[in-house]
Amino acid sequence: MAAPAMADSASPSPTGTAAPTVLRVGMTSGIDNPNIFAVTSVAEWQAVVMQYDMLMRFGDKDLTAVPSLATGCDANADRRVWTCHLQPGLKWSDGKPLTSKDVAFSYKFVMDKQFDYFSGYFPEGTTFQTPDDLTLVWKSPTPTNGPTVPAWSYVVPEHIWGKYANADAKTIRAVSALPNVGSGPYVMTAANPGQNWTFTRNPNFWGPKPAYDSIEFQLFTNQDAMVQALKNGQIDIADGIEGSLLPAVSAIPNVAVQKVVADSWINLAFNFGGRPTANALPALQDIRVRKAIEMAIDKQQIVDKVYPGAASPGETIIRPLSAYWHLTVPKDKLIPYDPAAANAMLDQAGYTMGSDGVRIDPKTGKPLKIRMPVSDDTPGSTQAGQLVASFLKKIGIAVTVQPVTAGKMYDLQQAGDFDAYIWYWSGDPDPNYQLSAFDSSACPGLSDGCWKDPTYDAMFAKQQATLDPAARKVITDEMQQYVYDQVPNIVLIYPETIEAYRTDKVAGLTAVPEGNGYLMPSYVYTSMVNAHPVQADTGTTPTTSGSTGIPPWVWAVVAVVVIALGVLMVRRRRGEADREELD
Amino acid sequence: MSLKYIARKAGWALLTLWFILSVNFFLFRIMPGDPVALLARSQRLSPEALDHQRQLFGLDQPLPQQYLTYLRETFSGNLGVSILSGTDVVSMVAARMWPTILLVGIGTLIAAVVGVLLGMRAGWRRGSGIDNGSMYTSLLLYSTPEGWLGMMLLILFAGALGWFPAGGYSSASSGGGAGDVSSHLALPVLTLALGYVGQFFIVMRASMIDVKSQDYIRLARAKGLTDPAVRRHHAAPNALLPTITLIVLSFGFVLGGAIVIETVFSWPGLGLLTYQAIQTLDYPVLQAVFLLSSAAVIVANLIADIAYGLLDPRIEQV
Repeated sequence: MAAPAMADSASPSPTGTAAPTVLRVGMTSGIDNPNIFAVTSVAEWQAVVMQYDMLMRFGDKDLTAVPSLATGCDANADRRVWTCHLQPGLKWSDGKPLTSKDVAFSYKFVMDKQFDYFSGYFPEGTTFQTPDDLTLVWKSPTPTNGPTVPAWSYVVPEHIWGKYANADAKTIRAVSALPNVGSGPYVMTAANPGQNWTFTRNPNFWGPKPAYDSIEFQLFTNQDAMVQALKNGQIDIADGIEGSLLPAVSAIPNVAVQKVVADSWINLAFNFGGRPTANALPALQDIRVRKAIEMAIDKQQIVDKVYPGAASPGETIIRPLSAYWHLTVPKDKLIPYDPAAANAMLDQAGYTMGSDGVRIDPKTGKPLKIRMPVSDDTPGSTQAGQLVASFLKKIGIAVTVQPVTAGKMYDLQQAGDFDAYIWYWSGDPDPNYQLSAFDSSACPGLSDGCWKDPTYDAMFAKQQATLDPAARKVITDEMQQYVYDQVPNIVLIYPETIEAYRTDKVAGLTAVPEGNGYLMPSYVYTSMVNAHPVQADTGTTPTTSGSTGIPPWVWAVVAVVVIALGVLMVRRRRGEADREELD
Repeated sequence: MSLKYIARKAGWALLTLWFILSVNFFLFRIMPGDPVALLARSQRLSPEALDHQRQLFGLDQPLPQQYLTYLRETFSGNLGVSILSGTDVVSMVAARMWPTILLVGIGTLIAAVVGVLLGMRAGWRRGSGIDNGSMYTSLLLYSTPEGWLGMMLLILFAGALGWFPAGGYSSASSGGGAGDVSSHLALPVLTLALGYVGQFFIVMRASMIDVKSQDYIRLARAKGLTDPAVRRHHAAPNALLPTITLIVLSFGFVLGGAIVIETVFSWPGLGLLTYQAIQTLDYPVLQAVFLLSSAAVIVANLIADIAYGLLDPRIEQV
């Protein structure tokens, strides 16, 4: 930060004793609207996580449900009725009491207004009752694990949003007023659109008091600039750094790098032609061809070339961030990288090599040519696609890679107009959502290529009917292994997220899930509550420290040059005027 | 100057505006993809919910119907709401206007002043050290990609030396005072001015060389005027005319923003807004920024036309 800025920042803190402590975070996405119901970007989700609470929340250890606003929830025998008990004494950031009525209102509100990204946990017909301020009764038309998934839906204050009970979703999304009223450790109090957003500590937060007075998100539309800002101390944390910048970030003194385990997976999906307008390649219906493709792809090479230092080869459809549910395939069940074996397998299956190096499908007599769109919202998809094409060429399969926008990709998926594609999956840490995308009922909606398999469908139904996490984990593992064996798609890559922070400025950041999880509030705000300035006690380091600004000698040189130029001009002008008078 | 002339020019300007308004509308809709579908993956919407969203934004209506609605609402000052964020487009665009005017306005002004002064001297002493030096520097800067130039300045002055912030318009906690904004503004303005200075220099220099061989310059010299007096009072004013056109038109482009520089320096201007809206196919936002920047160019052209009419009465006949 430059010298003039430091002079401006000398506003007194409320107590007048110490300068307010600020945690500055560089983000690669911004907050277009502080409204929780307009959330789309990464920064907006993190803002929501800091400001609002869930009834039960994702646990710090492995993202399985732990108490939050509710101390716990009990189910009746058939799991249609759940009773949740709220902590006493909860308050909103504006001081009004937070009761079970707020919870019931929030859930009903997102159902009524079809805010589907929050209401997916409440099947139609779900009702909520509040016998008293601390009790919520959740009645579901079907057996449910509802509150203990946990339901990824936030509790908002009825006294703020109640007035929109009769408004439509568009009107509600257009609401854009600050400060926000929430129950989390910080609430947004100021926004400079397109640049920075300030979250101030919530004085009524029910948990331990956070150390920072405020947290600032600053938008960087240029990743290199964000790294420079971390280097010169303009920011304390940089979120969402590209893998290619990893060497540059690691070289900065006093900077620690956190590689967050994959929260998404890059998907090479095959089309099975289940949609009415679908246009799929028959050879890909043959599991031997799909398996050969899996064997021919060198995932490690894709990691090294496209995502250096920031990814690992993919395996199963539940991503590693869902630490409790993710299955690591046992060694003896792995489909190994072995192009020679893949070639032998295709030879044996009767796919004879044509003269142009492309195999011929014995059933149709047509060459194995795959149209493979790749989506531009999936980082590295084009390069990964080209590598896949080069690998498959070696086993006699020709691939045409077509980079498309995410919007176009959606059209192709919905029309079933592709042979294979590269896109990505992410979503709920609970496995149910991801598993549902492979169920027959997901066609034509969520499903990639309309793969339909009765064995899988039966496992999915069983999984949905199981409450006990340990028993559910067993079925979920079987399902992941089954999908891996059947190869309806290939889990290409687990891309990682890179965060970095200044160890000389901030301490206490806590990874969630434990170990290799997020330091930023991606699922829970624990890290932001635990974070504290390194030299909080001494009071000698102003929080605006960082870059030193322009040193005095530069100002001196500038001043001398300006004065010299001025003197020169005045003298010349005088001389000219004298001479012109002679004309 | 006759009112008829002004009316004719203004009429053409309005017609152009309508044409742009229409192109604006259809251009973005023939882009591949569906903006609502883009929301789907991040928000996990079902197909029914997508239809619901399309209804809300009127995207389920036939295209001619959408076009009429668009014209009606635009002329009543309603540019709609952003598909992505749900907020009012007029206020979104308004919030981005000032940073852009500040950055591109000051940058263009500095480039114009420096370019004109240098061009004047260089053209006057063609082939001299100052001419060759500034000619090569200008060509070099003019042909340097501004994104690369910005990155180099950023790495040097923000990263290595730490004199300036690495991006943004102001620091949240410093309240965005003049000093704070200036320190954020310095590097992007420098990049922009360096990138733009070449064009003003080259036009001014060429026009100066042209003027220098005119008869009235010879006459001024014959009168015995000193060289600086001839340059300043006889050559420069005449050589400025074509450069003024360039300057006026350049200011017309101010509201278009500087997409590359704004992206490099995370500057929250209209250029950055455009870039982000293109990525998310946010039709209402795109339409609004394109409308604004085209309108600014049309108005600048109109001003230039009228100014011409005032300066040179012969133009009215054309």
